[in-house]
Amino acid sequence: MNIIELRGVRKQYHAKTALGGIDMYVRRGECITLFGPNGAGKTTLLKIISGIMSPTEGRLLYNDKPYSESDIKKDAFYLGHRTSLYTALTVMENMDFIRRLFSLNHRRQVEDILRGHGLWERRNDPVNELSQGMKRRLALAKGFIMSPEIFILDEPFTGLDHRWRSAILAKINDIKKQGKSVLISTHLVEEGHRLADRVAFLHRGRFLFIRDREEVDTAEIYGLFDSMGELAG
Amino acid sequence: MKTNRTISILFFLLMVMMPLNLYLIFKVAPTERIMGDVQRIFYLHVSLASGAFLAFTCTFVSSILFLWKKNLVWDSAASAAAETGLLFATLVLVTGSLWARPIWNVWWTWDPRLLTVLILWFIYVGYFLLRGGIADRFKKAQYSAVIGIIGYIDIPVIRYATKWWKSIHPLLSREGGGLNPVMKNVMFFSLATFLVLTVFLFLFRFRLARIEERLQKLKKLTED
Amino acid sequence: MKFMGSAIAILRKDILLELRGKESLSLMLFLSLLLLVIFNFALDTGKENVSSLAPGILWVVFTFSGILGMGRTSMAERDEDAYLSIVFSPASAESFYIGKVLSNLLFLVIMEMFTLLFFAILYDFEKIIGMLPQLLPGLLLGTLGFSLVGTLFSFLTTASRYGEVLLPFLYLPVVVPIILGGVSSMDIILNGKAGGAGKWIQIMAVFDVLYFAVSLLLFRYIIEE
Repeated sequence: MNIIELRGVRKQYHAKTALGGIDMYVRRGECITLFGPNGAGKTTLLKIISGIMSPTEGRLLYNDKPYSESDIKKDAFYLGHRTSLYTALTVMENMDFIRRLFSLNHRRQVEDILRGHGLWERRNDPVNELSQGMKRRLALAKGFIMSPEIFILDEPFTGLDHRWRSAILAKINDIKKQGKSVLISTHLVEEGHRLADRVAFLHRGRFLFIRDREEVDTAEIYGLFDSMGELAG
Repeated sequence: MKTNRTISILFFLLMVMMPLNLYLIFKVAPTERIMGDVQRIFYLHVSLASGAFLAFTCTFVSSILFLWKKNLVWDSAASAAAETGLLFATLVLVTGSLWARPIWNVWWTWDPRLLTVLILWFIYVGYFLLRGGIADRFKKAQYSAVIGIIGYIDIPVIRYATKWWKSIHPLLSREGGGLNPVMKNVMFFSLATFLVLTVFLFLFRFRLARIEERLQKLKKLTED
Repeated sequence: MKFMGSAIAILRKDILLELRGKESLSLMLFLSLLLLVIFNFALDTGKENVSSLAPGILWVVFTFSGILGMGRTSMAERDEDAYLSIVFSPASAESFYIGKVLSNLLFLVIMEMFTLLFFAILYDFEKIIGMLPQLLPGLLLGTLGFSLVGTLFSFLTTASRYGEVLLPFLYLPVVVPIILGGVSSMDIILNGKAGGAGKWIQIMAVFDVLYFAVSLLLFRYIIEE
């Protein structure tokens, strides 16, 4: 069953077309990885799917209902380029705020999540004293308190070293096992490919392809990045 | 292309009405006993104010429709109407000032009606400042629609507040007594003329906005 | 009471943020103090004038310090797109709005109390503290109006290219009825002017109800991009 469906979605910024006619669907419990050079429209697409940005044209369905009548935002976790953290608050206070918003009473769960993301020692430090990588990890950790239906992650690996990449990868695999859907944009070909059930390549606001993982090998993606003069990780 | 035809019809209508209106105001309407010729500006002043009010009402309704339907046509309509309204409101203030100088012996007075128009004027200037500050077309439409609604519902509150506020201060004379039948008829004609002008300017501006948007789209297509 | 739960969580977070960051309230208090000093130079605030000048001076200070503070709290939400964690939560747009209105209201009231205190000290006008109980209804209704409009507008303007700078241009004309009501009711109570403060309290109450209803409907549109 499709959890999300996009039909003819276009997005026009002032004089620039960010997305030109996107048709796609996301099945329940599947992971789609979006590849593409900078400025291809990945961020715009993810913002539109998450419901915080309206498309210029096109229809969006969540569980077969138009977005305007659905509560996609209540069921999604969106991590953009910015971390959505209150930087003056401490790690624990940020997590506590989320916990309260979701009216969850299990402090233990929050503590476990912080430990699992290697943030427990820093729990009483203000976020603006953390390194970039730690901020990203905390931002992602928030998603695990929420236990949403769909994870939308825009470049979740930026600023993370190798060790944490593998840790996050493992987490995302856990999410998939729980039957949640995941949408990821990334420059990391190996990692993105390994995670995905389907792989998409976005270029100038259009899909070059969106295919099952088995039908795409990493060499092809590297090749595409190369031909666009962009460095893939 | 229905809009185009309406615009042409209105244009020809105005070609007749405008000169006729001026003729009526300056030649047919009798000179007011106390105020003299200056009183004639009043026909324009009141008509402009009605036009501004009509335009802002249109902005209000279009803003609601935009938030409801999410169709950018309604945003173009809202901003076209706000532009027309702002132009008229400016002229209301100018003509009011010109009239007040000889009659009240001041350029400006804190009369509740003047004050309401002035505050409205500020609100809609803010409306365009905000529009200038947002690049994304849709976001611009969405946010300015909020101002289009909030600003409009403020009108009656401002009106009451300024009226009450004024009542503690000495009230300046009200504009001269009753109008005689000829004056009344001239006033009605002037009102009609300016309402047609409002609709004309609005449609004209609205069409221009639509054309601009289509041009953007075409530019895009040639680039792709 | 899930609805109020989210609003309270937001209020609680804002208080914490203020305690940690000291970005909004402390700036407001400084500006209040500074404005009171400036007014002392600008106006003849001799013993016989203070009482009649007080309402005007105080409400101008409330207005401008309020703009500064509400702009800051909205910037704190826009920073790092922090508000998105509220958007992607069970909290509705309405409870988001109410939470922010409450925290802005709280900071504004604290600022106003300090301003009154500063005023009493700097202008040697202790009478105003003694009359606080009578002044309170007008003060609270006016401040609520500030918060209702300011919360909506500051969140709206901080999304624009100009940021907080745009806030006064949109906010000031709209809150004219509140400023009129606040100044007039305080003037009537403080100086025993004729007319009765009741109708001003009334108009501020009408303003508050109107803007509460409309902003509640509109807030959802300004947390979308």
